[in-house]
Amino acid sequence: MKPRVAVVRFPGSNCEYETARALDACGMQGVIFNWNELSGAAGSGSCAWVLPGGFSFQDRVRAGAVAARERIMDVVYGDAVSGKPVLGICNGAQILVESGLVPGWRPGAVEASLSGNLAPGRTGYLSRWVFLRAVRGGVDKCPWLTDAGEAPIPLPIAHAEGRFVFRPADEAQALEMSVLRYCSPEGAPALDWPLNPNGSSFGAAGIMNPGGNVLAMMPHPERALNLHHVPPNLPGPWGELRRNRGPVSDPGPGASFFTGLARYLEVR
Amino acid sequence: MTPDRNELQTEIRNRGLAMTVDEAERLHGIFGRMPSPLEFHLFDIMWSEHCSYKSSRKLLKTLPTRASQVVIGPGEDAGVVRFCTHQGTDYDIVVAHESHNHPSQVLPVEGAATGVGGIVRDVYCMGADVIGSLDLLRFGDPLGRYGERCRGIARGVVEGIWQYGNALGVPNLGGDTEFHPGYDDNCLVNVVALGIVRHDRVVHSYVPVEARQEPYVFILTGKPTDDTGFGGATFASADLDGELGMKSVQVADPFLKRILAQANLDVLDYLFETGVAFGFKDLGAGGIACVTSEMAAHGGLGIHVNLDDVPVSIPGLPPEVAACSETQERFGFAVPAKVAGGVLAIYNEKYELPRLFPGARAAVIGHFTQDPVYRVTHCGTEAACAPAEAITEGVFYDRPHAPAEVSIPDPVELPCSPGKDIPEMLLSVGGCSRGAVWSYYDSEVRGATVLRPGEADSCVILPVPGCPAGLAVSGDGNPWYGELDPFLGGAHAVAEAVRNVVSVGAVPLCATDCLNYGSPESPAVMHQFHRGIEGIADACRHLGFVEPGEPLPIVSGNVSFYNQSSSGRSIPPSPIVAVFGRIDDCSTAVDMVLKKPGNIIVLLGHRHPEFGGSLYYRKVLGHAGGRVPLFRGPLEAEMARWVIGKVRSREVSGSHDISTGGLALSAAEMVLASTGLGIALNAGADPVQLYSETPGYLLEMDPSCEGSLPGFAEVVGRVTHDGMLSGNGWSVDIQGIRERWADLLASIVWREEGV
Repeated sequence: MKPRVAVVRFPGSNCEYETARALDACGMQGVIFNWNELSGAAGSGSCAWVLPGGFSFQDRVRAGAVAARERIMDVVYGDAVSGKPVLGICNGAQILVESGLVPGWRPGAVEASLSGNLAPGRTGYLSRWVFLRAVRGGVDKCPWLTDAGEAPIPLPIAHAEGRFVFRPADEAQALEMSVLRYCSPEGAPALDWPLNPNGSSFGAAGIMNPGGNVLAMMPHPERALNLHHVPPNLPGPWGELRRNRGPVSDPGPGASFFTGLARYLEVR
Repeated sequence: MTPDRNELQTEIRNRGLAMTVDEAERLHGIFGRMPSPLEFHLFDIMWSEHCSYKSSRKLLKTLPTRASQVVIGPGEDAGVVRFCTHQGTDYDIVVAHESHNHPSQVLPVEGAATGVGGIVRDVYCMGADVIGSLDLLRFGDPLGRYGERCRGIARGVVEGIWQYGNALGVPNLGGDTEFHPGYDDNCLVNVVALGIVRHDRVVHSYVPVEARQEPYVFILTGKPTDDTGFGGATFASADLDGELGMKSVQVADPFLKRILAQANLDVLDYLFETGVAFGFKDLGAGGIACVTSEMAAHGGLGIHVNLDDVPVSIPGLPPEVAACSETQERFGFAVPAKVAGGVLAIYNEKYELPRLFPGARAAVIGHFTQDPVYRVTHCGTEAACAPAEAITEGVFYDRPHAPAEVSIPDPVELPCSPGKDIPEMLLSVGGCSRGAVWSYYDSEVRGATVLRPGEADSCVILPVPGCPAGLAVSGDGNPWYGELDPFLGGAHAVAEAVRNVVSVGAVPLCATDCLNYGSPESPAVMHQFHRGIEGIADACRHLGFVEPGEPLPIVSGNVSFYNQSSSGRSIPPSPIVAVFGRIDDCSTAVDMVLKKPGNIIVLLGHRHPEFGGSLYYRKVLGHAGGRVPLFRGPLEAEMARWVIGKVRSREVSGSHDISTGGLALSAAEMVLASTGLGIALNAGADPVQLYSETPGYLLEMDPSCEGSLPGFAEVVGRVTHDGMLSGNGWSVDIQGIRERWADLLASIVWREEGV
């Protein structure tokens, strides 16, 4: 039987269907549960959790803050602490930060924030494709990065609050948790606008917990599942492939996040 | 009993109604008494231009609306057209197109947000899931006399659109943005929404005939009713005068809409599974009063609405406010009484509406009756009682029209220095990138987007997961053409949107239109309106591609009159058309990115000296006038068929239509969209060849295709390595101006640099 992965729909989530489809396409079974289907979600035999993107609870208080206090997050929290893979994408990442699962060096304590994008002369929402790289320590530790490799991965971002911020005193361990970092199309680290699209510390696009099983990332891998998702004018090898092959449904740059999990679940 | 006209005049003034004294007199005649406040407001809304199309109905009937693929044409909340069959299931697309001009001028953020919120409701209530939206925006001159206000409105409108659409989770599929001083006092915000629905699950917006056999109730769900948007439809049908209308603008909530949309899908599943007949309609103009009366009247029944059962957030609303306010995020169902409990449970328990939003819930607020009377009670007394049919019957005007066309001749000299003109046009408000606008929009939510705004002439999505059929969509309308020739303004709006859809390789299936004009009481405006409709109809008759002899059908649309300032200045005639097309195999879709040095650039459509309204006249010569390019229907159709065939056989590797700025700007835009390749044209400093906006296409093809080109095609250049746009004796360093071209709009409208 294909491994089952629970996708949680909070009120205001809006990426749950494509996230479940991405899991399906990569050899698993994505099952969507509503925020109040506690017993269903807990007893579903899921091997992993995904918190999809959207605007849970209207970003009231702070993005992700209300959803982090929903009872279903107690279930996610328990599973995360026991080592089950958990992925938060965009608003899902904001929920993981607000629930203290990442950076998670003191589980349950909120040790980071996802603040408003910082860009010269511009505020608010930003949608665009960016490049990021997985840092070696993460590839070894994080089930979602099993297949990520070290080459630049192009993915789209779409958010208004995606800047990871840490206390100055925490910088050393925060840097260690920053496993996905924005880069140039050629792979050079990107700390500044426009390659770092939101001013995130260390150019962090995603951070994990010390165990590596929980990953919070701002870019959307489920929107880059197929080659047809890739913009035809993207620089680098993925763009080249897209221009040569046309908008076909071959695997795209985001697929590795899901195939990586599938491989991890298989081996384990 | 003849009413006292003075007394009616007083009622109109005291209640802030838009109806004329003649109309009030007619209303008095229907009732045989002085109408109640609720009755006055209900008829004021139903007889408004916005709801009744009283000045336009006769002309709208001349538009082609029928074709084999049409399931539901104009008349319901949205048009429905057959799209594809996947694994034995038939799917239809659902399309709707509306304006939210007046509210956006007064309160840009809220107005534009509600525009998105309103149009998606029209698609949802056909039983569909919304899979995309686009915005056709017309703003005043950001560098002109009223530049500061125009820039503020542009920023606010874009903000309203992203705040609503991104949160709702509907991908924004672009649209277009034009700036013209004619919109200084009256911006246009046209919104299009598209959805997908199983063919056997299309839902109608009236109470079904089964309601004659068993009790049916009306369920209201969503946001608790308040006093927002009271008088909104009437406001949309009156002159703009700054003071009026702040309170008429509704307040949108995408969060609640997202939950409602998900809950609606569950309710639709539940109703289809139980096998009952039902009706579903959104609450828009005129709120509860309009939705209940229309659902009953269109089903040939009556209804008794009890306002005491309406969930409200403000207690003690007068009956006319509770019944007619345009509180957003509400839907209404007509269902058999026996399943009402099941429907309420989905909203109130499974989706916890009351917990998620204070006061929100689903409730039964009315009962359909065999007696075709529309009855509303409030605190035990009757607030309205009218024959249901009289409410929806509407009024009708045959407005006088008379031409008032001004003809400005073409200039005698046509100077041409491409190395200077092309950068000047690219770095103008009319020619620069719209990327600043799109960067705020989420175009990829739902994970089904293949081509985003700016990558090709149309956006392309995959509406049915797993099915290779792609849906291409584009919207267009050129105010400079409309201003000089109202007929060609209409015809080219259709033709350009068709070309944009064809250019990616899609077969146009249907179109929607939004007709934005000044006051219908002006014979000159009515003339523009007549000519615009004639232009649209003429183009549609030529540009049908599904079945031989059938037109491109207009399946939904909207008329927006009274787009003028308090000083009476009308906007340029602005018919705006959206076209929707299908690519059977989306992996063949073509974008405008150049692919391979050495490939040939093929021009379709020989150039003619017709520069009226062109960017060249406006920007390079500073000339407003001239002869607008002709609409050549048979040629346009022939070119489109050829392009569709060549894309299907994978012989086209890049494509872009020719419109604003002519061949030169189309070629420049292909270079700008690319990753370092360029184009060498074999044209000298020839203004007709380079700048004429005669419609056509530029295609990138393999050199081996050169020998087999049809008579309307010619090779005009080659793809180069150098990233330049060049010709005989001239060149433009496109890479050198790329950054300024991409950033110009943001620097003017958002950062207000140098203004």
